[in-house]
Amino acid sequence: MRRAIAAVPLTLAAVAAALLVTAAPASAHGYISSPPSRQAMCAQGRVANCGEIVYEPQSVEGPKGLTSCSGGNSRFAELDDPNKGWPATSVGNTVTFNWVFTARHSTANFEYFVGGTRIAVVDGGGKQPDATASHTVNLGGRTGRILVLARWNIADTGNAFYSCVDLQVGGGGNPTPTPTQPSPTPTRPTPSPSTSPTTSPTPTQPPTGATTWAAGTAYKVGDRVTYNGVTYQCRQAHTAIPGWEPPNVPALWQRV
Amino acid sequence: MKRLAFLLAAFLLAGCAAAPAQPVPAGTQPRVFNDTDVMFSQMMASHHSQALEMARMARTKAVHEDVRTLAAAVDATETDELKTMQVWLDAWGQPLAADPSAHAGHGGAHGTSPDDIKALDAASGAEFETKFLNMFIAHQHNAIEIARMETGTGVNPGALDLARRIDESRTAEVQQMLGYLNRPA
Repeated sequence: MRRAIAAVPLTLAAVAAALLVTAAPASAHGYISSPPSRQAMCAQGRVANCGEIVYEPQSVEGPKGLTSCSGGNSRFAELDDPNKGWPATSVGNTVTFNWVFTARHSTANFEYFVGGTRIAVVDGGGKQPDATASHTVNLGGRTGRILVLARWNIADTGNAFYSCVDLQVGGGGNPTPTPTQPSPTPTRPTPSPSTSPTTSPTPTQPPTGATTWAAGTAYKVGDRVTYNGVTYQCRQAHTAIPGWEPPNVPALWQRV
Repeated sequence: MKRLAFLLAAFLLAGCAAAPAQPVPAGTQPRVFNDTDVMFSQMMASHHSQALEMARMARTKAVHEDVRTLAAAVDATETDELKTMQVWLDAWGQPLAADPSAHAGHGGAHGTSPDDIKALDAASGAEFETKFLNMFIAHQHNAIEIARMETGTGVNPGALDLARRIDESRTAEVQQMLGYLNRPA
């Protein structure tokens, strides 16, 4: 390998550098975060087995004018599947939809549809949107379970971003219409056999007791955990997540 | 095209890796780095500074305790990460920030502008919290994009490790924040 490299002229390296810069993905874009769109449900872990959309809920981009939740992306086909048990959020006749934007494209408009009927349009004036957007939409007296399709139409391309939101409208006396609601906490690693019997932190826990560190657990200052056989004490309250393992975040955990 | 890019990347990375050929003392950060490592550290450092401004507002202004707690933990962890990246850039003899136009090929600033942060600060109560969560979800999605640029073509072991942890932890933060935006009635 080294020998091959020595033969590469510097100019080629420079060309390669230029190519790498332009080849990097300039990704994007946006989705409805609340009430949760289908991609938000997937990113949050409320609906399982969603495929790639989990990592990029903001990327449901497709040609303008489609009526599918996936925006025609076969890699996001899960979003079109009506049998995935999408929880429906209980709402009244007016709903405020909130958008997350990761790239603020100049905007033609935002359109909202129910069953092929456009129920609202919000003009974008061809300008970049603000850092966030909230649109209050009147559902026109519809009741029961509905699927709202939102299209964010970009002004200077032929594309739009798609978000579908499952709603339960009105529904007086039916506060929990969601079919199944898996716990929103991240998957917890199975505790190792050496875990002490107390797995959930309780006020009666002895002060010296240390449990095995587990993602999804809310730790408070002074809590003790073991991780790879080493004991740590919590310095800053937080809910543990992957990437914040005690040896990686001295700001959260002090070795004892 | 993908294969070509890969081959070129392999040449480029190996070429850069070969440049500082001094032996590295055991236990210290290897001084092996390339343009991606530098760009990652510069972009991420500026991205962290914006995150810290927002997180420090949310520590006190958010309505729910769990949001304030997340903001405090982000403040603590990203303060450390920022220092780490500044130490690397200094050790590599690189400026702490690059000309913003140098990042244009990566899709622009990937961040949150000072005006947006000012607008966030002007909000209060539930409106602040909703705005903060939506802006910070976007901000952390952007952090994941920058981290993946590094894991794609970076070579410095420390920067690669940080990028992997940023990818994991920000994905989990987004998961938490979507839950905070959509609390059960």
